[in-house]
Amino acid sequence: MNACVWCGRPLHQVVTLNQIWCWAPLTQSVACDQCRQRFTAITSQRCPQCGRQQTDETVCVDCQRWTGRPLTNHAIYVYDEAMKAYMQQYKFQGDYALRLLMQEPIRAALFREHYDVLVPIPVDQATWQKRGFNQVTGWLRQAPFQQALLVLADHKSRPQSAKDRSARLQTPQPFTLAPNAKEVLHNQRVLLLDDVYTTGRTLRHAANQIYLGGAKAVTSLTLAR
Amino acid sequence: MIEDEQFWGRQIPLPQAPVNSATGITALKQVGNRLQCQRCTHLLAPTDRLANGEWYCRQCLQLGRLTSQLELYTIPEPNRFVTAPTGGLTWEGQLSPQQERAAQAVQDYVKARKNHLLWAVTGARKTEIVYPALAWALAQGWRVAWTSPRVDVCLELAPRLHQAFGQVAQALLYGGQEEPYTYCPLTICTVHQLLRFREAFDLIIVDEVDAFPLATSPMLQHAIAAAEKTSGCHLYLTATPGDQLQKQVANKQLAVTYVPLRYHGHLLPQIDLRVAWRWRAQLSKNKLPVALIRQMKAYLATQQRFLLFVPHVVDLPVITRALQLAGIQGGVTVHAADAERTAKVQAMRDRRIPFLITTTILERGVTFPNVNVIILGGDDAVFSTAALVQIAGRVGRSADAPSGEVTCYCHTHTKRVRLARGMIARLNLQGRRLGGRK
Ligand SMILES: [Zn+2]
Ligand SMILES: [Zn+2]
Ligand SMILES: [Zn+2]
Repeated sequence: MNACVWCGRPLHQVVTLNQIWCWAPLTQSVACDQCRQRFTAITSQRCPQCGRQQTDETVCVDCQRWTGRPLTNHAIYVYDEAMKAYMQQYKFQGDYALRLLMQEPIRAALFREHYDVLVPIPVDQATWQKRGFNQVTGWLRQAPFQQALLVLADHKSRPQSAKDRSARLQTPQPFTLAPNAKEVLHNQRVLLLDDVYTTGRTLRHAANQIYLGGAKAVTSLTLAR
Repeated sequence: MIEDEQFWGRQIPLPQAPVNSATGITALKQVGNRLQCQRCTHLLAPTDRLANGEWYCRQCLQLGRLTSQLELYTIPEPNRFVTAPTGGLTWEGQLSPQQERAAQAVQDYVKARKNHLLWAVTGARKTEIVYPALAWALAQGWRVAWTSPRVDVCLELAPRLHQAFGQVAQALLYGGQEEPYTYCPLTICTVHQLLRFREAFDLIIVDEVDAFPLATSPMLQHAIAAAEKTSGCHLYLTATPGDQLQKQVANKQLAVTYVPLRYHGHLLPQIDLRVAWRWRAQLSKNKLPVALIRQMKAYLATQQRFLLFVPHVVDLPVITRALQLAGIQGGVTVHAADAERTAKVQAMRDRRIPFLITTTILERGVTFPNVNVIILGGDDAVFSTAALVQIAGRVGRSADAPSGEVTCYCHTHTKRVRLARGMIARLNLQGRRLGGRK
């Protein structure tokens, strides 16, 4: 019998009548209902720029402080205790199997976005060696993407999560364009994909590089905000 | 650089050999056509693989991920301790004659390096019974681990041992501990944490050995076996050994010392069974058994404080509502994930609340003076035989109030309840022979 990838409880596969009528392929669920329902989806009452959950649809205070080219971000879930626990085990403890839990929500969210080229935020070489995976590309099952960005070798000082807001906002540009980037980005609508939108600094650095590569529009999607 | 003593009796995962005498074994070893984690024995699944092609163990992930790039490095335990002839014991309490006898037996088994079970009823004060044996072991320069499957047992134990063995350096290890590891003669830790050790301990004391999930976890059983020296031995402590341990005792594979009497010399309270037919169906209509309501009202009228045990967390709000409708107020609910759990337990101890409505998390480890116990739905499978005996053992803990009532409401008589009553009856029979009073 299959077990929930997060809590390990046995999974009872339920076949709905609908699946039978539609001849839909039986998708193997990887997590139990309880685990999937731990996360809080962001509703339409959100900041139109950063995608954070709000009680209205006005531009939030943090977004009002940004100058320069605006970046529209959509986020799937609220960055709450459950999401922190998930990211802790997936990204920081390195439990790569937990990528499966988010593949379906990411697929569904990508389906709703309008873009030509998908560019996941990369991890640097040291992280790749140590963690053994890129937490963002781990969520992609079949969606084609382009590794158009690279992390500059000398950018790393402290991990993002250890920095406070002002320190993060001063972070210098960590990205550069991959050798083939200009060909794939030219005149395209690009969607950046990242794990958590915290200050928006990382995504804006990435967007700036993508624009330099010739993209005509850049938006972003994150798992959490 | 990592100091040598960090490696003594431990297994430290590193990508390459450290500059000392530590020797390494591969963390994930090929066994047949699969890889096996050498820390927790988990056999890896074909899917336990990272994007960079390396393998990793999911089972012991909480202790820091082991991958196929790592080796586990160790230096054999050297027992480099300063010893005192007293073993560092500063405890000045007195053992009762019965405790004294048991303490002597435990010490004899430890001296002979024999594995042993101390089966002491709830309220026998088993911790203190172990002190002489522990003092002897520490005086020999032995390295000792006092471990439990339950972190709350460790957390409660650590300050007590710190007081009782004031001259012994001690380390407390559990998931979430922020203090760094130190090399000490006495390590207090969850069984989980033993996975970080290899052939380190001359003596391992396993407290509440029957507590979940040790009995059903091959990983945790392996943790104890691997952390014990080949010349070492272990001592199991429990009030309610499970079937397997009882079988080992019956087959003379494991020596046992019984302490059938509580420290104050009184017998265990027997579980009083009351049939509450279809109580669950009644509850869904916000109704509780009439006898239960009458009993609770009587307790409240005489200011008799009590614990009401219920099967599941989801039952708590339902029962609270039913109690309100029945005009019973003042109870406070508590469960495992309750953020205010500690505060609520303290409020009950301080007599600021008349009763707690709780799941099985309060079955052991907590002591309230002069409480009675009511179990609603004792026939539910969450109440194992051991749990029922432990719950009954919350009653009559103090010498001022050495007896009390345990009432169990069931839809039907289950085997578990019958076995629990049987275990209490047998222990009391032994206790009576030793002069136990009701
Ligand atoms: Zn689950
Ligand atoms: Zn915003
Ligand atoms: Zn393992």
